[in-house]
Amino acid sequence: MRPTVGQQIPVRIIEAVDPARMKTLSALMRDPNPIHFDRSAASALGLGERTVNQGPSNIAYVMSMLGNWAGGVDRITRYRFRFLGNVLEGDRVQASGTVTAVDETPEGLLVHCDLALDVVDGARVLEGTGTVRLPVDN
Amino acid sequence: MTVGTDRTTPGESELDALVGTPFPGGEATLEPWWVHLVLDSMLADSDDGGAHPVLVFLAATGAMGWTWDELFALCGATEADGPMAGETDTVVHHPLQVGETYRVSGEIVSAVRKVGRRTGTFDIVGYRLDLHDGNGVHHASTTNSIVFPRRGN
Repeated sequence: MRPTVGQQIPVRIIEAVDPARMKTLSALMRDPNPIHFDRSAASALGLGERTVNQGPSNIAYVMSMLGNWAGGVDRITRYRFRFLGNVLEGDRVQASGTVTAVDETPEGLLVHCDLALDVVDGARVLEGTGTVRLPVDN
Repeated sequence: MTVGTDRTTPGESELDALVGTPFPGGEATLEPWWVHLVLDSMLADSDDGGAHPVLVFLAATGAMGWTWDELFALCGATEADGPMAGETDTVVHHPLQVGETYRVSGEIVSAVRKVGRRTGTFDIVGYRLDLHDGNGVHHASTTNSIVFPRRGN
């Protein structure tokens, strides 16, 4: 079915952000910033008593939502975000999006979306846009 | 270019001079085990493979040729100064693939000083990293900014 302007993308909820996954990602990224794996370091910087999720993970939650709706993450051609805040271990977060434009091109439908990630009952963490390319038969 | 990790807050002319500074660059190979664990860590589907667009940033920064501390030092800061991610803009021309090796290159694209009423002086430094395959095909680019608080200014 062809996407329409104003269409809501089914939200994705992460019930509780897992600090163990932050540790793994720190190692994989060789990211020495201790706020991702040491609660005392986060506390010393005034960030509270919980570790801080990596920005790429926050973006990935939104991209996975967008890719699931679009028929695959390989259809995502662009994303832009402003980092507005932090996700902390244990937070419940929601990724959401809305179609803002649909352009028919020789290469397919370019579907532009507003995207966001929010801590449920908390602050907005990411705000931005994404574009997916869909086959013309959509 | 070798970068020391001593902190020296740049003057505005030094900040301007950062623009155009090339990254040393390097090569990033999307090894299957690494992609699998990254996707698992980010709660992404392992079937996404190299095509998950967030891998563009991870592969690019992992082979940019500087550590984060070295990049911060180039901008006259350390981790202790509390640099923060500002914005990100990633374009995927061709999805990345597991097992492929990509050449990473890039440069500093912007550097501006601002003063906020509540935040005081801070600098925003932007950088772009590009990924090309072995045939020179441009697969993706990621442009990001880092916000550096200048609390001593």
